[in-house]
Amino acid sequence: MSMKKIASLLGVAAVLVGLSACGNSNKKTSSDAKESKTLTVLLSEEPSKTNALNNAFKKWAKETGNKLKTVVIPYDDQLTKFPLMLKNKDVPDIVATTRLMMLYPDEFTDLSKKMDTSIFDEKALKVINQDYTDTKVLGAPNQYTLSCYFYNKDAFKKAGITAPTVDNPWTLDELYANAERLKRDGDVKYGLAVDFSRARYDNLMYSNGGSMVKKDGKTFDVTINSNKNVKTLQKFISLNKSGVMPEVIWTGGSSDNPADYFKNGDVGIYLSGTWNYEPLNTDVSKFDFGVMPSPKGSEQQSVISGGSSLAIPKSAKNSKLAVQFLKWLYKDKNLKEYLTNDKGISFVKDVSYVDKDPDVAADYKILQSELDHVTDQFLVDEQSQWRNYLDNEYRDYLKQAVSGEMSAKGALDAFAQDLSKKSDWAVK
Amino acid sequence: MQKRKNRMSHAFWMLIFPSGLLFFVFFIIPLILNIILSFTNYDGWKTMNFIGLSNYQEALTDSRFYSALLKTFIYAIVNLPFKVIIPLLLAVLLTSDKVKFKTFSRTAIYIPVLLSSLVVGITINWMFSQEYGLINFLIQQLGGQPVAWGRQPALATFIISLASTWASTGFYMIIYIGAINNISHDVYEAAEIDGVSAWQRLLKITIPLLMPTTFLVTLLSTVNLLKEYALIQGVTQGGPGTSTTFVIQYIFDKGFNQSLYGYAAAMSVVIMIIFAVIAFIQFKVNEGGEFTK
Repeated sequence: MSMKKIASLLGVAAVLVGLSACGNSNKKTSSDAKESKTLTVLLSEEPSKTNALNNAFKKWAKETGNKLKTVVIPYDDQLTKFPLMLKNKDVPDIVATTRLMMLYPDEFTDLSKKMDTSIFDEKALKVINQDYTDTKVLGAPNQYTLSCYFYNKDAFKKAGITAPTVDNPWTLDELYANAERLKRDGDVKYGLAVDFSRARYDNLMYSNGGSMVKKDGKTFDVTINSNKNVKTLQKFISLNKSGVMPEVIWTGGSSDNPADYFKNGDVGIYLSGTWNYEPLNTDVSKFDFGVMPSPKGSEQQSVISGGSSLAIPKSAKNSKLAVQFLKWLYKDKNLKEYLTNDKGISFVKDVSYVDKDPDVAADYKILQSELDHVTDQFLVDEQSQWRNYLDNEYRDYLKQAVSGEMSAKGALDAFAQDLSKKSDWAVK
Repeated sequence: MQKRKNRMSHAFWMLIFPSGLLFFVFFIIPLILNIILSFTNYDGWKTMNFIGLSNYQEALTDSRFYSALLKTFIYAIVNLPFKVIIPLLLAVLLTSDKVKFKTFSRTAIYIPVLLSSLVVGITINWMFSQEYGLINFLIQQLGGQPVAWGRQPALATFIISLASTWASTGFYMIIYIGAINNISHDVYEAAEIDGVSAWQRLLKITIPLLMPTTFLVTLLSTVNLLKEYALIQGVTQGGPGTSTTFVIQYIFDKGFNQSLYGYAAAMSVVIMIIFAVIAFIQFKVNEGGEFTK
């Protein structure tokens, strides 16, 4: 045998060995892949280090040896991006969203067939999933939120104001009067600030007995432009114009955030939501703050509840893995840890969160009591699912009224007409 | 001779093919799709029915569409002179032999062009934020009252105009500098012998010889002003109220926020026709920038 032949035989042998090694390595990789899968999670914002949900995902991945891939799309953008993901057949395995009913609910798995959903508080489940008609459970709650009033304790002290209590809440008139007093005597620039969100503003409307719609048999009537609602909006505009509230927040034209105003000690009372409790607790160091019960309008107190849920798209590649995560999350031990980290209101029957800090615990007692003030008007509005027809347009009309482009009545009349046209509900 | 002609023709098509292909893929196809969508009630996902001219009828009777369009025109007309004159004057200044630190100045003026509109928006917000902005801080330090940038429509529009001009001046200045450097020195030397002043040289020689460039800058500025979007989104989000909601933002809102893709597509077609007419008029009035011949 010539040297050339020997060399070529050795070469072939080397190639075969190499190929078999590759084959083995491929086999190893595929078996590894069976054991360690990647769960793709869609979140609404870049998670901070203390983000309870993200940390729960991480802990689960560590315990089970799986991997995580996080995709961040803000809630508003989810409405347009999620359909594109569905079209491209590239959906995440779990979607954390506050807009489940607007993300094509037909595309999500009924979780009641995959896990025990009877553990969830029924009211929380309906409010969070915004679904009042179906028996399916399309999302498992991960956050139950309420609108709430934060206040600057130091400013109250300076202005000589005593905070209201659960048994003795303020009236709306008292809230407005005290906001003026805070501005005058409390060493704050503004007495009251309200998030640039219709869901915060609507509390004032519900407190005065107003509503977006009224039920009329099987259909609804549009009532957003009622006299009550016009008066509520007029008062809101006057508070902005007088400087008791930072007008720039509600006129638009700036990206100023009222949470920053409050954190800097420039606002006496801040109408926001429970999801801001933990960030405020972390960021506010210049003064003490607390939570106060909602004020009573001409008819009632009002809080708006909502929240976020975890849903599994039907076309998710790793849907079994997603179900596995949900079952893990709602185990008693894991859930308590999650609620403690999230400082959230519980959405599971017989499980609640009590903080070790007495001030925080007292605030949560107030928040828990506020659950009773979710108004019937709000629940009817939610049942109508009016936001499936128009959503941001309502806030834009409010913005135009505050900025002076339209009158309060003009803005609400125009929105009533728009909603009526889209929904076929009569304006009454 | 015929062979040479054929070869030239082949070369022409070979050279034009890459840009022609890109133009077809990224402009003609989307344009055709947009026109098709404009006759439907497409919602971005499952609904897509042919509805004839309904979207066009709605657009042409939509008072908010007209309002946004009017605001866009006013914004473009008011800002156009600044977009053209400021880069021209800077270019003249930075090509003068009497000015020092020319390279540094040109670089400094050009840097904003490299920033994305959203970064420009963040920078401008940092300066003009009503409560915590740098400008209001300085005004208060000097004993003044903070200015309500975000509450007054005129001030909000002023901020956008300022940001837009700041972000684009460097680009147009570079175009002007190139054109000024191409003007023959003989012309200036002859003028100097005739005893022409610096002011006369600018008005009688430089500006007339820059007319083709001025036409280009005017056309590009007009189109960019009419299409202004990202900057507004970054600075005022269309407010206060809807005072800075210009037509592109209105279309975007209808399409992507309200999922009225068909309606947004119809408005886009209408806008495209209007903008094309404006560009055509500019071409005609300026003779395509060739009238200095």
